[in-house]
Amino acid sequence: MTSDTPTRARVLVVDDAATVRMYHNSLLGEAGFEVSEAANGLEAVEAALGTPFDLYVVDVNMPKMNGYACVEALRSETVGTAAPIVMISTEDRPGDADRAYRAGANLYLVKPVAGDRLVRVATMLTADRSWAAEKDVAA
Amino acid sequence: MNPLLAQFLAEANDLLAQVDEGLLQLERVPGDPELVNEVFRAAHTFKGSSGLFDFPELTRLTHAAEDLLDQVRSGRLALDSGMTDDLLAAFDLIRGWLAHVTTHERLPASAGTDAAGLITRLRAPLGGEAVTAVATTATSTATIDVAPEWLAWLDAEWLTETAGWLATTSSTMRFVRYFPDSDCFFRAEDPLHLVRQVPALERLGVVQPRVWPGPDDYDEYVCLLSFILATRASLGELEYLFRYVPDQVQIVELDSDAITRHLSGEPPLQVEAAVTAAVMPMIDSDLAADARALLHAAQSSLAVDDVVAGDTRLRSVVHAVASAARALGVPVNLTGADRATLLAEIDRLLGAAAPAPAGVAEDLSTAVAAPVPAAAVADAPGRADDPGGQVGTRVLKVDQEKVDRLMELVGELNVAKNGLTFLADAAEEEFGSRVLSRRIKDQYAGMHRIAEELQAAVMDVRMLPLSVAFGRFPRLVRDLSRRLGKTIELVTEGEDTMADKDVIEALGDPLVHLVRNSLDHGIEPSDERIAAGKPPAARLTLAAVADGDAVIVEVSDDGRGVDPERVKRKAYEKGLISEEELETLSESDAVNLVFRAGFSTADQVSDLSGRGVGMDAVRASVEKLGGSVTMRSKLGQGTFTRLRLPLSMAVTQVMVVSVAGQRFGIPVDLVVETVRVPAGEMGRVLHQDVVMMRGEVVPVIDLARALDMPWAPTPGEDRRILVVSVNSQRIGLLVEQFHREVDVILKPMEGLLAYADEFSGTALLGDGLVLLVLNMKEVLGLAARVA
Repeated sequence: MTSDTPTRARVLVVDDAATVRMYHNSLLGEAGFEVSEAANGLEAVEAALGTPFDLYVVDVNMPKMNGYACVEALRSETVGTAAPIVMISTEDRPGDADRAYRAGANLYLVKPVAGDRLVRVATMLTADRSWAAEKDVAA
Repeated sequence: MNPLLAQFLAEANDLLAQVDEGLLQLERVPGDPELVNEVFRAAHTFKGSSGLFDFPELTRLTHAAEDLLDQVRSGRLALDSGMTDDLLAAFDLIRGWLAHVTTHERLPASAGTDAAGLITRLRAPLGGEAVTAVATTATSTATIDVAPEWLAWLDAEWLTETAGWLATTSSTMRFVRYFPDSDCFFRAEDPLHLVRQVPALERLGVVQPRVWPGPDDYDEYVCLLSFILATRASLGELEYLFRYVPDQVQIVELDSDAITRHLSGEPPLQVEAAVTAAVMPMIDSDLAADARALLHAAQSSLAVDDVVAGDTRLRSVVHAVASAARALGVPVNLTGADRATLLAEIDRLLGAAAPAPAGVAEDLSTAVAAPVPAAAVADAPGRADDPGGQVGTRVLKVDQEKVDRLMELVGELNVAKNGLTFLADAAEEEFGSRVLSRRIKDQYAGMHRIAEELQAAVMDVRMLPLSVAFGRFPRLVRDLSRRLGKTIELVTEGEDTMADKDVIEALGDPLVHLVRNSLDHGIEPSDERIAAGKPPAARLTLAAVADGDAVIVEVSDDGRGVDPERVKRKAYEKGLISEEELETLSESDAVNLVFRAGFSTADQVSDLSGRGVGMDAVRASVEKLGGSVTMRSKLGQGTFTRLRLPLSMAVTQVMVVSVAGQRFGIPVDLVVETVRVPAGEMGRVLHQDVVMMRGEVVPVIDLARALDMPWAPTPGEDRRILVVSVNSQRIGLLVEQFHREVDVILKPMEGLLAYADEFSGTALLGDGLVLLVLNMKEVLGLAARVA
């Protein structure tokens, strides 16, 4: 799977709760991902402008720029990434997931996400990174 | 404590402070949407993090508070002071619980009953129970029905007890079977250390092999032991802890019923066999379930009608579908796929990936820790030890002790640096090399500059805004004013003013005392205020302003003020002033009598500020910081107390003098001047040596005598006198010799000498000598006693 790719997959964990960031970071880090953190949407967009990531794990309720706005910005011309985005939220109200998909997320999970599930999904979504890389050709 | 819990506790502290502050501000600016949002978000973030741990009561209480805040946020409810009280009480209770968690790693046993009333009250405005149903935590893992056979290794008595306890609480118990790999030692794993890290550990059993190998076969590098343990830790915590060895542990959660049935002899579930058999399909079914979830999500994404080709959203969906297909092992060709093609492909894939047949494996997957997919582990090119490229760390939170350590090192560097000047002197005097001496001095100058900059940088790190000291007062004033039935508006100014952390910390108690005093004695009840023609709401101001290398903090109120006549009478009755002073003391001096030890004007001792330890405690602690305190008051109009404190206490400038060959330091702040007086000009008035200076008689104290050291000035030689100002009084100190001024880092006296009040501390000099720094007030007292 990742053996044919030269570098580790880069993941950006976006959450305003430092504890949650630490939890996600350690799970993904142990699974071999190169993990960076951002504490809100704005920081995430800034980070993505610097170096694109292979996967974004984004919380919904955050100060400065919330998860939906963050995902929209990542998908819009501002960043313009086609990389997979997983949103993780404590909210489990009807319509929340649809809002996430409308914004451009690829998966909506409800907290707390079991560690093995997060790793499994992340591995699945980054196994072949050529689709996201196509962006460079398309752009 | 595991780092995740430690992180949670640290974060919780900040979040709870935000909630408190926000709630209090909301009382002043009711309905401010920005504030409501802030409070809600802090509570929400807190709840989200708490869900990672097995603190069901905590999560439930926070959830209730969050729901109430959510209603306020959406404008469906208006926050009243009753709700604020309940919210504050809820977060106070949580804070107490967290203190308990810090030491015991679990909530107090009474948590459930403590929270019940509050939860009902918080939910009352929401229409009560209807919402409670939604609030039940979604975090709990499914409990397994049948106990695994290895449960029999735990003693039955404890299991009975636990089953009884589980039946009465919402807490959960997880049982872990940990089979370390036989060659785990070669991978630097330490199974024993690992199980000791398990949080909230209730029971730990070490399981020996049924048959130990014979002496010839025995290999001490092979791990033969395994473990069984019971814990209240959450699944998330356990997964985090065992993240290196997920394939070597089984985690099951048992409810009271399952344990009871196990105890009554129910045939055990062959979990080990079941797991071994189920591992492969389990991975498959989990993987397939996730892949299906991705495909369903892709369908939802495509349902949005403005998704067009070339859009990043469409390309990401293509990627997600391709990933899911790959995981399912179904080949797809999605190159150039449009919306319709994609939807058709998703349908085909979902058809191919029909749910795995048996429900058993699925159920187990939630209760038994599933191994991380082999691919994720095996293909991991390396451990991600370096957190490189972190984005969320513009502000570093550093342990205070580390900063203190830095300051200590700076102090030591200063000492080592000062040693160079002695070396330079030695080069010239002992070795006769003026050139070398000058070079050393040049080197010293360079080092001195760097050391100074380093010191300034470290001092800067230690600076905190006064808002840290002011932060507790909105709450304090609110609570106390309610208890006293007074209406008080608190105003804070200059919270951005910075001062050293030690000063800020030490400022806390005196400020609390002054504010309480003001609330209790200074500010009148509303009716009295109205009668006096004042606005019914009193005003209490806390203000800070920087003044050179000092910070001035002022506490003022528009209350009834201090009656100087009453203070004087009281002081006279208590024997603090003489009859003559009673007549002559000016009004402003009279007011400041309240700072004298043993003075208290409160006619009735209240539970707020009374009890005799009064303003003299404030004065003592402020003076200990090297500051001063003064009070001004206008009868009927208010009181104004001003604290003047050094910006930093870390570095003290002292003047070095010697008597009887020994050197002492005297804080430069106190020094007025140094003079040499011909022996003949020394006078004596009533057993007291004096010297005339510019028409003023200055008493002179013999420092050697005060400190009981054998020394007398050489007759006929000029007397060296250091003039200091203590309590705005000028006093001369007779010394043997003056030396230079030095910057020192004062260390408090320790051990037996800790009681030697005449010294305020010690400092190390560059030549290795320890300098005793004098506490002038005490030394003067000593001199008076000697005389």
